Order: sequence, then C-alpha cells, then structure tokens
Amino acid sequence: MDISFWFYLSSGLFLGWSLGASDAANIFGTAVGTKMVKFRTAAIISSLFITIGAVYAGSGASQTLGALGSVNALAGAFMSALAAALTIYWTVKLSLPVSTSQAIVGGIIGWNLFAGKPTDIAVLGKIVGTWVFCPVLAGIIAVLLYYMVRFVIRHCHITLIRQDCYTRIGLILAGAFGAYALGANNIANVMGVFVSSSPLQAVDIGSLLTLSPTQVLFLIGGIAISVGVFTYSRGLMTTVGNGIIRMSPLMAWVAVVSQALVLFLFASQNLQHFLVSHNLPSFPLVPVSSSQAIIGAVMGIGILKGCSINWGLLGRIAVGWILTPVAAALLCYISLFFLQNVFDLEVYR
Amino acid sequence: MFHLQLSLFSKTKTLEADIDNFHNKLINASMTFGKAIDVYLREGRSENFKKISRQIKKIEHEADALRRSIENQLYGNNLLPDLRADVLQLTENLDRIINKFDEATYMFYVEQPEIPDEYHGNIRELGRLSAECAENMGKASRSFFRDLSSVRDYSQKVYFIEHESDLCSRQLLEKVFDSKLPLANKLQLKQFINEIADIADTAEDFIDELLIFTIKRSI
Repeated sequence: MDISFWFYLSSGLFLGWSLGASDAANIFGTAVGTKMVKFRTAAIISSLFITIGAVYAGSGASQTLGALGSVNALAGAFMSALAAALTIYWTVKLSLPVSTSQAIVGGIIGWNLFAGKPTDIAVLGKIVGTWVFCPVLAGIIAVLLYYMVRFVIRHCHITLIRQDCYTRIGLILAGAFGAYALGANNIANVMGVFVSSSPLQAVDIGSLLTLSPTQVLFLIGGIAISVGVFTYSRGLMTTVGNGIIRMSPLMAWVAVVSQALVLFLFASQNLQHFLVSHNLPSFPLVPVSSSQAIIGAVMGIGILKGCSINWGLLGRIAVGWILTPVAAALLCYISLFFLQNVFDLEVYR
Repeated sequence: MFHLQLSLFSKTKTLEADIDNFHNKLINASMTFGKAIDVYLREGRSENFKKISRQIKKIEHEADALRRSIENQLYGNNLLPDLRADVLQLTENLDRIINKFDEATYMFYVEQPEIPDEYHGNIRELGRLSAECAENMGKASRSFFRDLSSVRDYSQKVYFIEHESDLCSRQLLEKVFDSKLPLANKLQLKQFINEIADIADTAEDFIDELLIFTIKRSI
C-alpha cells in the first residue's frame, strides 16, 4: 500500500482524534465529573464500544454521506476531512456546540462544488432536517425517561444507597451503549469521505471474522477516536455536565441514555429494516451531533423541572447548523483549488 | 465488569447495614433514656440506674464507631458523590442527639438532683416527649434513605411533639419557680429541665435540615 494513503488519511485520523476528545465527554462527562465512574473505566469502555459500533454498525450513516457526495480521490477526501477538522477547531474557539457531522457535510458539499458534481438536494434536506430534529427528539426522549425513572423510584422504594449503586452501573451501561451508538453514527464523519477512494483490502481475523475494506477503514477510525478519548477527553469529562443545569448522576443517566437512543435511531440499519418491513415510518441513517443531542436532552429535563430555556445556547446551536457547514464548504473549496493548482494533485476523478 | 458489580454490591450492602444500625442506635438510645429517667425518679442513683446509664454510654460509643465507618465508606469508596455532604451532616446530627442523651443521663448520675415528688409526673412526661421526638427524628432520617414519602409524616410528628415538649417544660419551670424550694435547687432543676427539653429542640432543628436534604434528593 502506498505510504501516501496514510498521509491523506491523517486528516481523517485527526478528525477522529478530535471527535474522541470532545464527544466522549458527552457520554461519560457527568459520570466522571461527579466521580461516579473512574476516568480509566470510562475511557476503556468508550474506546471499546466506539470501535465496535464503528466497525459493526457504521455503514448505514456512511452510505447517506456517500449519497450526498462520493469523494473519489484521496487528496479530495484528505482536504474534505481537513476542512471539517479546521472548522471544528474554529467553532470550538467560538464556543459553539461542536458538530463533526455538520462540518463534514460542509466539506463534502465544498468538494461537490469544486468537482462540479451535483449535490443531491433531497439527501441534503434529509440531513439538515435531522440536525434540527435530533436535539428536539433527544429532549422528548429525556422527558419520557425522566417520568419513567421518577415512577420507578417513587413506586419501587429503592433505598438511597442501592439507588446510588444502580445509578453507577446504569451510567456504565448507558456509557457503553452511548459509545456504541456514537461509533455507529459518527464514524461516517471521520472516515466516510475515504470510503470511495480507500485502497484497503478485506482482512480475515482468524477463521471467525472477516472485515470488509470499509470495516477496516472504520476500525482505523475507531482507533483514532479511542486515542482521542485517552489522550484529551479527561479535562472535558471532569468539567462537562454542569454547563446547562446542575445534574445529579440520575439525571445524567437520563441525558446519556436519551442521547445514545437518538444516535442509535439514526444509525441502526437493523432497526430501519425492522420498521420498514412493518410499514412503519423509519429514521433516516444520518450522522448527527452527539453534543447537540445531549444539549437537547438536558434542556428537555431542565424545562420539565421549571428552568428557563437558555435561548442563547439554542441560538448558538442554530448558528452552528448554518455556520459550520458553510465555513467547512468554503474552506474545502478554496483549499482544493490550491491542492489542485499549486500542488498539482488529483482531487477528483 | 462482573467483579466491579460484585464489589459495588458488597460495598452497598455494608454501608446500608451500617446506616441501618446507626439508626437503631438512636432509637435504642431514646428508649433507654426514657427508661433511665423513670428509674432515676423511682430509685435515684441505684444500681439499676447505673446499669442503664452504662448502657447509654455503650450505645453512644457504638454509634460513634458506626458514624466513623459510614464516613470512611462514603469517602473511601466514593459513594453518593452528590449527596455525600448531606448524608454526613445527617449522621453527625443523629450522633449529636445520641450524645445529648448520654450527657443528660450523666448529669443525673453525677449531680443526683433532688426532685420533689410533685414534679415527677411532669419530668417523666418531658423525658418521654424528648425521647419520642428523637425517635421520630430517627425514623424520619431512616425514611430519607428508604422511602422519601414518609419523611414528611415523621417530620410532622417531630414538630408536634416538640411543641408539646415546649409547653411541658414551660409549665414545669413555672411550677418550680413558683415553689418554696431554695433558689439553688430551683436553678439546678431548671438546668435539668432545659437539658431534657433541649433534646426535642435539637431534633426539631435537625428535621428542618432533613427536609431540605429531602427536597434536594427528590428527582
């Protein structure tokens, strides 16, 4: 395999690393911040389940991104991912809730524009609609879960100490599910643009498991995310969770499960097949923002508990919906121009 | 993961048992205190009273050890991170009530106050009310760990009994100071009446705090 592949893939790996650094905090932030779960336990579980989710169930959301624009040259994929990564860096600086999904969609559209390929407006509409729907759905799920938890606590007379024990186990399980859903949903953001141009081959692991080229690519992306979790998420994990309202560990569990369910709904092909086969409305398989999902969940609980709506934060999310993809698209378009005309690289076929 | 769950369950069980025992100590101390006053009024500092007084001291020591164990488990095992401060405050409050029982019994033991027969009924009643107040405080606190909805019921009982104890101690003080007893005896009796009534007052103060902890705990 050409060494240049790894150079081009580096922007995707960087994107994966930053996703791990920022989004693992959404899953285990409050649990680690309130010392219910140790960072080491959180990091190991996150890494393991993100990678499993990415390899086993990452293809659904990836196909939707592929339908938006199939980046068919490695240099083009490199720049799409790099533009997304740089946009994320910039949006973090502006204190906007980070969304890798929105950045990569911008990167792909930038590539489409540069390469003169059509952007499927129907697919784009589906993706953007999901961004808006995602925090709202997370909020609704959080409210329902909140009522369910309250009912169980009031009627099952669980002692305080036992409740603490169950919450701790619940946070670990919810974290594992959240990590799986994050890997399944968000690996498309990290590695999706490389799928069409990847020279990777299928790999046999023993005689039991065969990984397709896409799965090998997603495994590499999963490892990059895991490195991000271990190296850079600790600071965020210990501070996140109390940013919107003060969260008890039980409320943190509600928020994490809501977020994980939303990510799972938008990533699970099995669920989609099941719903379609029973003539039920199905969820589109689209990469969504875990940060915005958790904000939606926390706000749902907050509104239910009588806290006022943080319009400023909602406004910042809405600005992110527009600003992040537009900035990434512009950056990608301009950078592709330089890559093609200054470095004489093939950025599309 | 399996090991983690097992160790978590065993830690949970130990702490739960310690907290339960700690509440038992308070209830035992309050019942023993009521008995101590009764025995003192009947027999003075008899062998029987000394035995009961030693029993209260023992309960107080055991409660101290349990409180320390609960504190160590809470901090050592990182349990109840969000409610730890409240639980610690609650156990310290309960321990202070047990200490008050011990102090009051010890005062009877050391000072051996002479209590005329006409006040026996009122002092017995005051002792009963204070013990009952503390007992209900203990039950309210136990409910904080087991069944939040009952905290309010027991709190209401504490408020009611404390009010009764206030009336009883006032009546008794008036009776004492209206009497022909020497001033020294009157002042000594006043000190004893206040010491016993103070147990109910303290229980009432702690119930106020407990209700705030309950609001914080309810989801």
